[in-house]
Amino acid sequence: MVLTPDFATRPVISFQHVFKTYPTGTEALRDVNLEVPEGDFLFLVGPSGAGKSTLVRLLIREEKPSKGKIFVDGIELGRMKRRRLPHYRRKVGLVFQDFKLLPNLTVYENVAFAMRVLGDPDHEIQARVAEALDTVSLSGKEHTYPANLSGGEQQRVAIARALAHAPRFIIADEPTGNLDPATAWEIMQLFLRINARGATVVMATHNREIVDLLRRRVIAIDAGQIARDDRSGRYHEDVAKPQVRVQ
Amino acid sequence: MLRNLKFAFNSAWQSFWRNLAVSLAAVLSITLILILAGINLLVGHAFSQVLDGFRDKVSEISINVSDDTPLPNVYDFQQQLAADPRVTSVKFVTKDEALTQFKSDPQNGVLAQQIDGNPLDAKLDVHVKNLGDVAAIDAKARQWSGVDPTDPTNYQGDFVNRMLQLSQWLGLAGAALLVILLIVSVVIVMNTIRTAVYHRRKEIEVMKLVGATEWFVRGPFVIEGIMTGLVAAAIALALLVISYEPVVARFKSDVGFIPLSYDPAFISSLATDLLLAGALLGALGSYIGVRRYVRI
Ligand SMILES: Nc1ncnc2c1ncn2[C@@H]1O[C@H](COP(=O)(O)OP(=O)(O)O)[C@@H](O)[C@H]1O
Ligand SMILES: [Mg+2]
Repeated sequence: MVLTPDFATRPVISFQHVFKTYPTGTEALRDVNLEVPEGDFLFLVGPSGAGKSTLVRLLIREEKPSKGKIFVDGIELGRMKRRRLPHYRRKVGLVFQDFKLLPNLTVYENVAFAMRVLGDPDHEIQARVAEALDTVSLSGKEHTYPANLSGGEQQRVAIARALAHAPRFIIADEPTGNLDPATAWEIMQLFLRINARGATVVMATHNREIVDLLRRRVIAIDAGQIARDDRSGRYHEDVAKPQVRVQ
Repeated sequence: MLRNLKFAFNSAWQSFWRNLAVSLAAVLSITLILILAGINLLVGHAFSQVLDGFRDKVSEISINVSDDTPLPNVYDFQQQLAADPRVTSVKFVTKDEALTQFKSDPQNGVLAQQIDGNPLDAKLDVHVKNLGDVAAIDAKARQWSGVDPTDPTNYQGDFVNRMLQLSQWLGLAGAALLVILLIVSVVIVMNTIRTAVYHRRKEIEVMKLVGATEWFVRGPFVIEGIMTGLVAAAIALALLVISYEPVVARFKSDVGFIPLSYDPAFISSLATDLLLAGALLGALGSYIGVRRYVRI
């Protein structure tokens, strides 16, 4: 079953004239407006340095906008109190290019870590970790250390960890950036499945093949501005005359 | 809650061992500082012991009796003084006894030979319990009708006051030194925590991303700080206790005239002070450290 995102209802994520200028003076985002309905699956694409990661960091409140407002689930992130931040982060599952696993913990412990941090009781942790590892098809690898896993398997562990507290949002920054095409595709299937269960997915990516194949919503960012927002887009604007960008 | 505490203790313990070099450096520096602080306390204690002995000597006052005072009046005042709770003892010294005393003191040799008759007063030698009360007894004596109006007492207010002041200044200097030492150790703990935070930045980053509360992240570091302070305090205390008695014995045999003595009762108060100081400075240093270096 695939939920069709409902663009008519109130968006769960909304950017209103968002600017981000880093203390160094770099204008990473300029006047970004964006609305994401619940259950959406969107790709952020664009050349390196365009501002994709900045948008992701704003979304998880690692950074605050210099100007403008960001609403997630009705809360304005820029005005959220610092002590509310942990609660907010628990609603969000995060996946990164470099996995961010703790090397001295086993697969099981890495996934359980997220729940330990929240002080969940042991029996609940056991059940949920087993379920999350099952979702990412890693049952049986519980006691392996990340160093002994392939890149794809490591990213699965990271996804299982992101899933551990049943987040409503999955935010991923280049999750397939370190993976070969076949593995990237498997990981992408996983995100689709999570999205099908109802989670809203925002993913920054460079992976042209996947974007073009899936024909989901594509937001192209160029030099800090939204250049394009297609409901079922491709990596480049037009396949007939692909744009070549000079780095 | 209990689970969080267990987690915090485990992480603190791991972190302490993982950064063993830094942890040990911090423990040793703080041990040194606490030893200095302990010596400061011990010297302060010894000084007050010595001062107590000294006080006994200066807390004597002689009241000069004028020649025309009838003896019953003198006895009367002597009894009045003896009944005063601030007074330990009163002794009446007649004019003749005073002269004998004066002549027997070799310091007065030349002067004693020139004396014609007996110009000395009879006197009441009063021993006062507290040095601070000497002034009050002096005032009381000056109001007595039988006192010699030209030379009422041998009380030298200035000297006594200066002694009291000196001891106050020394106490203050000791306290100031303690404060400086404690500030230095707080800074040392802060820096250890910074290193520990640096070593665990990856773990901290992941904790933040999965929604750990700020104090969940900070807790282990504060516990690590307290552990560092307590371990240092325990080592400092052990070294001080071991060397206290031999040092006092050595000092006594070298500088016998200063009435210093080994006081085992002081050890328990020293232990409380040092352990409390260790725990508090560890907590304070790491608290300031995590507030600065652990943000989410
Ligand atoms: N923390 C930072 N401080 C200063 N400049 C930054 C920082 N992060 C990113 N930038 C700059 O902001 C721009 C956008 O970067 P980023 O959002 O990482 O782009 P992308 O993820 O699309 O490659 C770049 O010019 C980058 O150099
Ligand atoms: Mg990026």
